Amino acid sequence: MKLLTKYNRVNLASAVAVLFVTGLIYYKAISYILNDQVDKDILIEEQETFTYVKQNNKLPKIEQYKDQHIFFVRVNGPVERRFINTDYFNPKEHEAESGRGLITSVQVKGQTYQVTIIESKVETEDLIRIIFCITIGVILFLLLVLSIANRLILNRIWQPFYNILQQLRLFSLTDNKDIAISNSTIDEFNELNSAVTSMASRVKTDYKALKTFTENASHELLTPIAVINSKLDSLIQAGEFNAEQSSLLNDVYDAVARLTRLNQSLLLLAKIENHLVRDDQVVDMKQLVENKINQFKELFVNKELDLKCDLTAKEIKASFFLMDVLLNNLIGNAIRHTPASGTVEIMLNMQKLSIKNTGTGAELPGDEIFKRFSKSANSEGSGLGLTISKQICESYKFELSYDYETPYHCFTVNF
Amino acid sequence: MKILIIEDEKGLRESVENYLSDGGNLCETAPDYQSAIAKVSLYNYDCILLDITLPDGNGFNVLKYLKENNNPDGVLIISAKNSLDDKVAGLEMGADDYLVKPFHLSELKARLMAIVRRKSFNGSNSLIFNELVIDLLAKEVRINNVLLKLTRKEYALLLYFIANKNKVVSKNAIAEHLWGDGADMADNFDFIYSHIKNLRKKLEEAGAKDYIKAAYGMGYKFTDQ
Repeated sequence: MKLLTKYNRVNLASAVAVLFVTGLIYYKAISYILNDQVDKDILIEEQETFTYVKQNNKLPKIEQYKDQHIFFVRVNGPVERRFINTDYFNPKEHEAESGRGLITSVQVKGQTYQVTIIESKVETEDLIRIIFCITIGVILFLLLVLSIANRLILNRIWQPFYNILQQLRLFSLTDNKDIAISNSTIDEFNELNSAVTSMASRVKTDYKALKTFTENASHELLTPIAVINSKLDSLIQAGEFNAEQSSLLNDVYDAVARLTRLNQSLLLLAKIENHLVRDDQVVDMKQLVENKINQFKELFVNKELDLKCDLTAKEIKASFFLMDVLLNNLIGNAIRHTPASGTVEIMLNMQKLSIKNTGTGAELPGDEIFKRFSKSANSEGSGLGLTISKQICESYKFELSYDYETPYHCFTVNF
Repeated sequence: MKILIIEDEKGLRESVENYLSDGGNLCETAPDYQSAIAKVSLYNYDCILLDITLPDGNGFNVLKYLKENNNPDGVLIISAKNSLDDKVAGLEMGADDYLVKPFHLSELKARLMAIVRRKSFNGSNSLIFNELVIDLLAKEVRINNVLLKLTRKEYALLLYFIANKNKVVSKNAIAEHLWGDGADMADNFDFIYSHIKNLRKKLEEAGAKDYIKAAYGMGYKFTDQ
């Protein structure tokens, strides 16, 4: 729910509640005052009646006023004096009306009469109704004005906030754009603005430091590896080695080669994750796949793999280097993990690239295989190939997925 | 051949110097930016090996200095910064090649020889080793005027060997030279063996001497001694 909606809802609900309660109190107060007025009229009439009876010792002649009526009824026994609200028939208006009455008693020549004085409340009620209608009208008008005003003013007041939000959405660590400061008359937004701006610049500084660190680490690590490598190359020039020494040296060579590849893979991964490879261009995937197949031709032949290709032209906008790495990893994996005389199927169309291979063993754990350093026990890879492939796909919003359709292991890139 | 090695890492500098300075080659070294500038402003070299990260300056500035002074020396950048931007920038600034650390000395030598050959054409584009005559433009190998039919990999292998003649070249170095990124595939050493076997056979059948010697199971040596 938007803040404005929420705010309006609370605001309107409380306004309605308050106005309703005040309306109720208003209504009660007015009807109390008006009732009181009517009661006073009735009491005056009662007093006049009593005075008349005392002076003349007889009941007064019944006079019919427009909205006041008096009745005398002979009764035996006492009459309790009380006010009543009642409906009665108004002979003048020829209709039933609601009225306020007083039942009292008077003694004329030893005879008790019940006196009923009734005054019409029609006008009072009309008055209340009018007042009530006006109040309701005012309330509705007020609510309407309030909600419109809220909408207009709040939208304008919150504009800086939406500006900041938009800037945050567009914020990217790798570009050089800073968050622009948009001034507002509201202190809170200015504070938010400056906090966001300083956070962004801090993050960028940290990121730059991290980038520098990565570069330095690569330099620091690769240099000693380079020294080892060059010393090994020098060492084998040195002269005669027996079989045992040769085998030891070979092991060291292999280990250094692996160390190099591992280090390069880690650096590449960091680069992709930080979106630092940005030589995007139009890449002819069909051509690239064909080149890769050609490059791996010896391996296909050597393992007597059956290669089936179904390639249609497909161009994508991406880094040539990363696409090369991606194909290297996926096709390389397929060759590496297919047993001799197995089948590799490569399919490329406008929607996807899929690489299938027959394999030993059962389905691979779909989530695990894309994690760093997850690899099968007999794999000679770095354990980073699929992680790198996944990262490459993610950075171009492609989807890399794994399926097992007996007996094929199938890796699919959905463009 | 005169080579300048600009490299701050002592271990690496010495290995490179030792590896390159035989067979009449003269190597000079510069461990930092200042001495590098001093050397290149005084002398000319056939090729300069240039490390980008130097303790007192950026290697790119050495390159800039060379180009500003119209220095014709070949430049091979050796860098630990395996970044595309650096590579592109280096080549655009006029470097002849770019090699990423860590590298095999044999690979360095091969690249260096290629640069020197390109630089000093002297009207001839053939490389001669005893009875072997290699036409570098047409990529053809002749022995006693008989054309040898070599595959692309065999041709690359032969050039690599000649660039590193009299040196033991490790199997890892050969694998990386021939397959590049694909060098981590399992059966490469078998392929090397069969490629070398084929190359040897073709050379021998064409009447060349057997120059390729296996070296203690670690690699091969191309030598006429």
